[in-house]
Amino acid sequence: MDAAVAVRLDLPSRKADASIRNVTADSRTDAELIAEVAEGDSVAFEELHRRYARSVLGIALRRIGDRGRAEDATQDTFASVWRSASRYDPARGEATSWLYTVARNAIVDGLRRRREPPVDETPELAEPGPGPDDAAEQGWVAWRVHRALETLPEQERSLVELAYWSGLSQSEIAEYLGIPLGTVKTRTRSALRRLADELEDELE
Amino acid sequence: MSGPRDLRDLVGDELEPDELERLGRIHALLEQAGPPPELPPSIAHAPAPPSERVIPFARRYRYGALAAAAILAVALFGAGYLVGGGPEPEPVERLAMEGSGGATAELDLFAKDEAGNWPMELRVSGLAPGTYELWLTREGELAAPCGAFAVAAGETTVPLNAPFKLKEFDGWVVVPTGSELPVLTT
Repeated sequence: MDAAVAVRLDLPSRKADASIRNVTADSRTDAELIAEVAEGDSVAFEELHRRYARSVLGIALRRIGDRGRAEDATQDTFASVWRSASRYDPARGEATSWLYTVARNAIVDGLRRRREPPVDETPELAEPGPGPDDAAEQGWVAWRVHRALETLPEQERSLVELAYWSGLSQSEIAEYLGIPLGTVKTRTRSALRRLADELEDELE
Repeated sequence: MSGPRDLRDLVGDELEPDELERLGRIHALLEQAGPPPELPPSIAHAPAPPSERVIPFARRYRYGALAAAAILAVALFGAGYLVGGGPEPEPVERLAMEGSGGATAELDLFAKDEAGNWPMELRVSGLAPGTYELWLTREGELAAPCGAFAVAAGETTVPLNAPFKLKEFDGWVVVPTGSELPVLTT
Protein backbone atom coordinates (compact mmCIF):
# COMPACT_ATOMS: atom_id res chain seq x y z
CA MET A 1 0.00 0.00 0.00
CA ASP A 2 1.39 3.38 -0.85
CA ALA A 3 1.64 6.43 1.34
CA ALA A 4 -1.25 8.11 -0.41
CA VAL A 5 -3.59 5.33 0.67
CA ALA A 6 -2.31 5.56 4.21
CA VAL A 7 -3.05 9.26 4.25
CA ARG A 8 -6.49 8.75 2.78
CA LEU A 9 -7.36 6.24 5.47
CA ASP A 10 -5.95 8.46 8.21
CA LEU A 11 -3.72 5.71 9.50
CA PRO A 12 -1.37 6.17 12.41
CA SER A 13 2.27 6.34 11.53
CA ARG A 14 3.80 2.90 11.48
CA LYS A 15 5.18 1.89 14.84
CA ALA A 16 8.28 -0.11 15.50
CA ASP A 17 7.75 -3.69 16.53
CA ALA A 18 9.55 -3.18 19.82
CA SER A 19 8.76 -0.34 22.13
CA ILE A 20 9.62 0.83 25.59
CA ARG A 21 6.19 -0.30 26.67
CA ASN A 22 6.97 -3.85 25.55
CA VAL A 23 10.15 -4.21 27.51
CA THR A 24 9.05 -2.39 30.62
CA ALA A 25 5.55 -3.76 31.04
CA ASP A 26 4.33 -3.33 34.59
CA SER A 27 3.23 -6.71 35.93
CA ARG A 28 1.30 -5.29 38.87
CA THR A 29 -2.43 -5.90 38.86
CA ASP A 30 -4.88 -3.03 38.73
CA ALA A 31 -5.76 -3.64 42.37
CA GLU A 32 -2.10 -3.49 43.35
CA LEU A 33 -1.67 -0.26 41.43
CA ILE A 34 -4.66 1.30 43.17
CA ALA A 35 -3.19 0.29 46.53
CA GLU A 36 0.09 1.94 45.55
CA VAL A 37 -1.74 5.07 44.40
CA ALA A 38 -3.41 5.19 47.80
CA GLU A 39 0.11 5.34 49.27
CA GLY A 40 0.98 8.26 47.02
CA ASP A 41 2.92 6.37 44.34
CA SER A 42 2.86 8.64 41.28
CA VAL A 43 4.51 5.97 39.09
CA ALA A 44 1.65 3.59 39.82
CA PHE A 45 -0.74 6.44 39.08
CA GLU A 46 0.86 6.97 35.66
CA GLU A 47 0.65 3.25 34.91
CA LEU A 48 -3.01 3.19 35.88
CA HIS A 49 -3.53 6.16 33.57
CA ARG A 50 -1.75 4.35 30.74
CA ARG A 51 -4.01 1.34 31.17
CA TYR A 52 -7.31 3.17 31.49
CA ALA A 53 -7.07 6.62 29.90
CA ARG A 54 -8.52 5.55 26.56
CA SER A 55 -11.30 3.59 28.27
CA VAL A 56 -12.19 6.61 30.41
CA LEU A 57 -12.11 8.95 27.43
CA GLY A 58 -14.28 6.46 25.56
CA ILE A 59 -17.09 6.47 28.12
CA ALA A 60 -16.75 10.24 28.59
CA LEU A 61 -17.28 10.68 24.86
CA ARG A 62 -20.30 8.39 24.99
CA ARG A 63 -21.73 10.29 27.92
CA ILE A 64 -20.85 13.87 26.96
CA GLY A 65 -20.38 13.85 23.22
CA ASP A 66 -18.18 16.93 23.08
CA ARG A 67 -14.50 16.04 22.72
CA GLY A 68 -13.06 18.92 24.76
CA ARG A 69 -15.39 18.36 27.67
CA ALA A 70 -14.76 14.62 27.51
CA GLU A 71 -11.02 15.24 27.79
CA ASP A 72 -11.58 17.45 30.84
CA ALA A 73 -13.76 14.72 32.32
CA THR A 74 -10.97 12.20 31.75
CA GLN A 75 -8.53 14.26 33.76
CA ASP A 76 -11.19 14.84 36.42
CA THR A 77 -11.64 11.08 36.63
CA PHE A 78 -7.98 10.44 37.32
CA ALA A 79 -7.85 13.23 39.89
CA SER A 80 -10.77 11.46 41.55
CA VAL A 81 -8.95 8.12 41.39
CA TRP A 82 -5.98 9.72 43.15
CA ARG A 83 -8.16 11.15 45.89
CA SER A 84 -10.30 8.06 46.48
CA ALA A 85 -7.84 5.20 45.91
CA SER A 86 -7.62 4.54 49.64
CA ARG A 87 -11.33 3.73 49.67
CA TYR A 88 -11.01 0.86 47.21
CA ASP A 89 -11.63 -2.50 48.87
CA PRO A 90 -10.61 -5.50 46.73
CA ALA A 91 -12.96 -7.70 48.74
CA ARG A 92 -15.93 -5.75 47.41
CA GLY A 93 -15.25 -6.12 43.71
CA GLU A 94 -12.84 -6.05 40.83
CA ALA A 95 -10.59 -3.07 40.35
CA THR A 96 -11.87 -2.48 36.84
CA SER A 97 -15.46 -2.28 38.13
CA TRP A 98 -14.43 0.21 40.82
CA LEU A 99 -12.58 2.33 38.28
CA TYR A 100 -15.59 2.23 35.97
CA THR A 101 -17.79 3.50 38.80
CA VAL A 102 -15.31 6.24 39.71
CA ALA A 103 -15.17 7.31 36.08
CA ARG A 104 -18.93 7.45 35.65
CA ASN A 105 -19.35 9.36 38.92
CA ALA A 106 -16.61 11.83 38.02
CA ILE A 107 -18.15 12.45 34.61
CA VAL A 108 -21.61 13.03 36.10
CA ASP A 109 -20.19 15.22 38.89
CA GLY A 110 -18.33 17.28 36.33
CA LEU A 111 -21.49 17.82 34.32
CA ARG A 112 -23.39 18.78 37.46
CA ARG A 113 -20.66 21.13 38.65
CA ARG A 114 -20.64 22.93 35.34
CA ARG A 115 -24.44 22.87 35.29
CA GLU A 116 -24.41 21.22 31.91
CA PRO A 117 -27.12 18.76 31.02
CA PRO A 118 -25.91 15.19 30.52
CA VAL A 119 -26.00 13.98 27.00
CA ASP A 120 -27.70 10.71 26.30
CA GLU A 121 -25.42 7.69 26.25
CA THR A 122 -26.03 7.21 22.56
CA PRO A 123 -26.81 10.63 21.14
CA GLU A 124 -25.80 9.61 17.67
CA LEU A 125 -28.55 7.02 17.42
CA ALA A 126 -32.01 7.96 16.32
CA GLU A 127 -35.07 6.07 17.50
CA PRO A 128 -35.52 3.19 17.50
CA GLY A 129 -32.30 2.53 19.37
CA PRO A 130 -31.02 0.98 22.52
CA GLY A 131 -32.66 2.02 25.74
CA PRO A 132 -30.73 3.16 28.81
CA ASP A 133 -30.00 -0.39 29.91
CA ASP A 134 -28.67 -1.31 26.50
CA ALA A 135 -26.58 1.84 26.39
CA ALA A 136 -25.13 1.09 29.82
CA GLU A 137 -24.37 -2.45 28.73
CA GLN A 138 -22.64 -1.19 25.60
CA GLY A 139 -20.62 1.26 27.70
CA TRP A 140 -19.49 -1.51 30.02
CA VAL A 141 -18.54 -3.81 27.13
CA ALA A 142 -16.55 -1.03 25.49
CA TRP A 143 -14.85 -0.30 28.80
CA ARG A 144 -13.81 -3.93 29.28
CA VAL A 145 -12.73 -4.45 25.67
CA HIS A 146 -10.72 -1.24 25.49
CA ARG A 147 -9.04 -2.06 28.79
CA ALA A 148 -8.23 -5.55 27.52
CA LEU A 149 -6.65 -4.09 24.39
CA GLU A 150 -4.18 -2.24 26.61
CA THR A 151 -2.92 -5.58 27.95
CA LEU A 152 -1.74 -6.69 24.50
CA PRO A 153 1.82 -6.30 23.31
CA GLU A 154 2.07 -3.12 21.27
CA GLN A 155 2.44 -4.87 17.92
CA GLU A 156 -0.64 -7.01 18.51
CA ARG A 157 -2.73 -4.11 19.78
CA SER A 158 -1.87 -2.04 16.72
CA LEU A 159 -2.67 -4.97 14.49
CA VAL A 160 -6.10 -5.51 16.04
CA GLU A 161 -6.93 -1.83 15.71
CA LEU A 162 -5.87 -1.86 12.07
CA ALA A 163 -7.78 -5.07 11.36
CA TYR A 164 -11.04 -3.93 12.94
CA TRP A 165 -11.19 -0.19 12.53
CA SER A 166 -8.91 1.03 9.75
CA GLY A 167 -10.90 -0.41 6.88
CA LEU A 168 -7.85 -2.21 5.51
CA SER A 169 -7.89 -5.81 4.36
CA GLN A 170 -5.40 -8.25 5.87
CA SER A 171 -3.34 -8.05 2.67
CA GLU A 172 -3.24 -4.26 2.89
CA ILE A 173 -2.23 -4.46 6.54
CA ALA A 174 0.58 -6.86 5.64
CA GLU A 175 1.80 -4.43 3.02
CA TYR A 176 1.43 -1.46 5.33
CA LEU A 177 3.39 -3.14 8.12
CA GLY A 178 5.87 -4.77 5.76
CA ILE A 179 5.31 -8.28 7.10
CA PRO A 180 4.02 -11.47 5.42
CA LEU A 181 0.27 -12.05 5.27
CA GLY A 182 0.71 -15.27 7.25
CA THR A 183 2.38 -13.33 10.05
CA VAL A 184 -0.51 -10.88 10.14
CA LYS A 185 -2.95 -13.76 10.61
CA THR A 186 -0.78 -15.49 13.19
CA ARG A 187 -0.45 -12.30 15.22
CA THR A 188 -4.14 -11.57 14.92
CA ARG A 189 -4.94 -15.06 16.16
CA SER A 190 -2.56 -14.64 19.05
CA ALA A 191 -4.08 -11.26 19.94
CA LEU A 192 -7.62 -12.62 19.91
CA ARG A 193 -6.56 -15.51 22.14
CA ARG A 194 -5.04 -13.12 24.64
CA LEU A 195 -8.19 -11.02 24.57
CA ALA A 196 -10.28 -14.14 25.12
CA ASP A 197 -8.20 -14.98 28.18
CA GLU A 198 -8.48 -11.42 29.45
CA LEU A 199 -12.22 -11.22 28.84
CA GLU A 200 -13.11 -14.69 30.08
CA ASP A 201 -15.89 -13.27 32.25
CA GLU A 202 -17.49 -11.52 29.32
CA LEU A 203 -17.52 -14.74 27.31
CA GLU A 204 -19.44 -16.73 29.90
CA MET B 1 -16.19 1.58 9.19
CA SER B 2 -17.63 -1.64 10.57
CA GLY B 3 -15.44 -4.57 11.49
CA PRO B 4 -14.29 -7.31 9.19
CA ARG B 5 -16.98 -9.52 7.72
CA ASP B 6 -15.35 -12.87 8.26
CA LEU B 7 -13.30 -14.01 11.22
CA ARG B 8 -11.65 -16.70 9.09
CA ASP B 9 -10.25 -14.00 6.87
CA LEU B 10 -8.54 -12.55 9.94
CA VAL B 11 -7.14 -15.65 11.58
CA GLY B 12 -6.98 -18.29 8.85
CA ASP B 13 -8.69 -21.65 8.52
CA GLU B 14 -6.51 -23.83 10.72
CA LEU B 15 -8.46 -23.43 13.95
CA GLU B 16 -10.45 -26.14 15.67
CA PRO B 17 -14.21 -25.45 15.83
CA ASP B 18 -14.12 -24.81 19.59
CA GLU B 19 -11.31 -22.32 19.24
CA LEU B 20 -12.96 -20.64 16.29
CA GLU B 21 -16.18 -20.30 18.29
CA ARG B 22 -14.29 -18.79 21.24
CA LEU B 23 -12.46 -16.28 19.08
CA GLY B 24 -15.72 -15.57 17.32
CA ARG B 25 -17.17 -14.25 20.56
CA ILE B 26 -14.17 -11.95 21.02
CA HIS B 27 -14.60 -10.90 17.41
CA ALA B 28 -18.21 -9.93 18.19
CA LEU B 29 -17.19 -8.03 21.33
CA LEU B 30 -14.61 -6.03 19.39
CA GLU B 31 -17.19 -5.08 16.81
CA GLN B 32 -19.68 -4.19 19.53
CA ALA B 33 -17.18 -2.06 21.48
CA GLY B 34 -15.98 -0.04 18.52
CA PRO B 35 -12.57 1.63 18.37
CA PRO B 36 -11.02 3.14 21.47
CA PRO B 37 -10.37 6.87 21.11
CA GLU B 38 -6.87 8.14 20.57
CA LEU B 39 -5.49 10.22 23.43
CA PRO B 40 -4.56 13.79 22.51
CA PRO B 41 -1.19 15.00 23.83
CA SER B 42 -2.92 17.15 26.42
CA ILE B 43 -4.08 14.09 28.35
CA ALA B 44 -1.43 11.59 27.29
CA HIS B 45 -0.16 11.52 30.86
CA ALA B 46 -1.82 11.36 34.23
CA PRO B 47 -2.58 14.71 35.85
CA ALA B 48 -0.03 15.78 38.43
CA PRO B 49 -1.04 14.21 41.74
CA PRO B 50 -1.93 16.85 44.29
CA SER B 51 0.12 16.86 47.46
CA GLU B 52 -1.61 15.91 50.67
CA ARG B 53 0.86 17.71 52.84
CA VAL B 54 -0.82 19.98 55.40
CA ILE B 55 0.80 23.26 56.28
CA PRO B 56 0.13 25.22 59.44
CA PHE B 57 -1.31 28.38 57.99
CA ALA B 58 -1.40 31.13 60.54
CA ARG B 59 -4.74 32.88 60.79
CA ARG B 60 -3.48 35.90 58.87
CA TYR B 61 -2.32 33.56 56.09
CA ARG B 62 -5.75 31.95 55.90
CA TYR B 63 -7.37 35.31 55.38
CA GLY B 64 -4.65 36.11 52.87
CA ALA B 65 -5.32 32.88 51.02
CA LEU B 66 -9.03 33.63 50.87
CA ALA B 67 -8.33 37.08 49.51
CA ALA B 68 -5.87 35.62 47.06
CA ALA B 69 -8.47 33.12 45.91
CA ALA B 70 -10.85 35.92 45.04
CA ILE B 71 -8.13 37.92 43.33
CA LEU B 72 -6.87 34.89 41.44
CA ALA B 73 -10.34 33.90 40.28
CA VAL B 74 -11.09 37.37 38.98
CA ALA B 75 -7.65 37.70 37.45
CA LEU B 76 -7.83 34.38 35.63
CA PHE B 77 -11.34 35.11 34.41
CA GLY B 78 -10.09 38.29 32.86
CA ALA B 79 -6.86 36.78 31.62
CA GLY B 80 -8.52 35.15 28.67
CA TYR B 81 -9.50 38.54 27.33
CA LEU B 82 -6.03 39.90 27.30
CA VAL B 83 -4.08 39.67 24.10
CA GLY B 84 -0.35 39.24 24.11
CA GLY B 85 1.85 40.44 21.29
CA GLY B 86 5.12 42.00 20.34
CA PRO B 87 8.53 40.60 20.77
CA GLU B 88 8.31 40.49 24.57
CA PRO B 89 5.37 38.52 25.98
CA GLU B 90 3.32 40.44 28.47
CA PRO B 91 2.09 38.76 31.63
CA VAL B 92 -1.61 38.12 31.75
CA GLU B 93 -1.53 38.67 35.48
CA ARG B 94 0.86 39.90 38.14
CA LEU B 95 0.44 38.69 41.70
CA ALA B 96 2.08 40.26 44.73
CA MET B 97 3.42 38.09 47.52
CA GLU B 98 4.44 39.15 51.01
CA GLY B 99 6.18 37.52 53.89
CA SER B 100 7.64 38.24 57.26
CA GLY B 101 10.75 40.35 57.66
CA GLY B 102 9.98 42.50 54.64
CA ALA B 103 10.32 39.70 52.09
CA THR B 104 8.31 40.37 48.96
CA ALA B 105 7.82 38.84 45.54
CA GLU B 106 6.05 39.43 42.27
CA LEU B 107 4.74 36.52 40.26
CA ASP B 108 4.06 37.16 36.58
CA LEU B 109 1.77 34.69 34.81
CA PHE B 110 2.08 34.44 31.06
CA ALA B 111 -0.43 33.04 28.63
CA LYS B 112 -1.11 29.33 28.93
CA ASP B 113 0.19 27.22 26.07
CA GLU B 114 -1.77 24.53 24.22
CA ALA B 115 -0.42 21.81 26.48
CA GLY B 116 -1.71 23.54 29.60
CA ASN B 117 1.52 25.10 30.87
CA TRP B 118 1.39 28.49 32.55
CA PRO B 119 4.86 30.02 32.14
CA MET B 120 5.75 32.28 35.07
CA GLU B 121 8.47 34.58 36.25
CA LEU B 122 9.07 35.04 39.95
CA ARG B 123 11.03 37.98 41.36
CA VAL B 124 11.81 37.69 45.05
CA SER B 125 13.69 39.90 47.46
CA GLY B 126 14.29 39.92 51.16
CA LEU B 127 14.48 36.16 51.60
CA ALA B 128 17.38 34.57 53.43
CA PRO B 129 19.83 32.83 51.10
CA GLY B 130 18.78 29.22 50.48
CA THR B 131 16.53 27.14 48.28
CA TYR B 132 12.77 27.51 48.11
CA GLU B 133 9.75 26.05 46.35
CA LEU B 134 6.70 27.72 44.86
CA TRP B 135 3.43 25.85 45.50
CA LEU B 136 -0.19 26.27 44.56
CA THR B 137 -2.48 25.91 47.57
CA ARG B 138 -5.97 24.66 48.11
CA GLU B 139 -7.87 25.15 51.36
CA GLY B 140 -4.77 25.85 53.38
CA GLU B 141 -2.75 22.95 52.05
CA LEU B 142 0.20 22.71 49.72
CA ALA B 143 -1.49 21.28 46.67
CA ALA B 144 0.77 21.36 43.60
CA PRO B 145 4.48 22.13 43.22
CA CYS B 146 5.52 24.71 40.65
CA GLY B 147 9.29 24.47 40.88
CA ALA B 148 12.26 25.14 43.11
CA PHE B 149 14.74 27.99 43.05
CA ALA B 150 17.75 29.29 44.92
CA VAL B 151 18.09 32.71 46.49
CA ALA B 152 21.28 34.61 47.13
CA ALA B 153 21.66 38.15 48.38
CA GLY B 154 19.51 40.85 46.82
CA GLU B 155 16.78 40.23 44.26
CA THR B 156 16.39 36.93 42.45
CA THR B 157 14.40 36.41 39.25
CA VAL B 158 13.59 32.89 38.05
CA PRO B 159 11.37 31.37 35.35
CA LEU B 160 8.93 28.76 36.63
CA ASN B 161 5.98 26.81 35.26
CA ALA B 162 2.58 25.68 36.50
CA PRO B 163 1.21 22.80 34.40
CA PHE B 164 -2.12 22.85 36.20
CA LYS B 165 -5.65 24.16 35.92
CA LEU B 166 -5.25 27.23 38.09
CA LYS B 167 -8.96 27.57 38.75
CA GLU B 168 -8.68 24.45 40.89
CA PHE B 169 -6.47 26.25 43.41
CA ASP B 170 -6.92 29.23 45.66
CA GLY B 171 -3.47 30.73 46.24
CA TRP B 172 0.29 30.55 46.01
CA VAL B 173 2.98 30.22 48.66
CA VAL B 174 6.75 29.99 48.77
CA VAL B 175 8.20 27.57 51.30
CA PRO B 176 11.83 26.74 52.10
CA THR B 177 12.81 23.43 50.55
CA GLY B 178 11.92 20.66 52.97
CA SER B 179 9.65 22.89 55.01
CA GLU B 180 5.90 23.39 55.00
CA LEU B 181 5.91 26.81 56.59
CA PRO B 182 5.25 29.53 54.03
CA VAL B 183 7.64 32.46 53.89
CA LEU B 184 5.71 34.23 51.14
CA THR B 185 2.01 34.16 50.37
CA THR B 186 -0.29 35.86 47.87
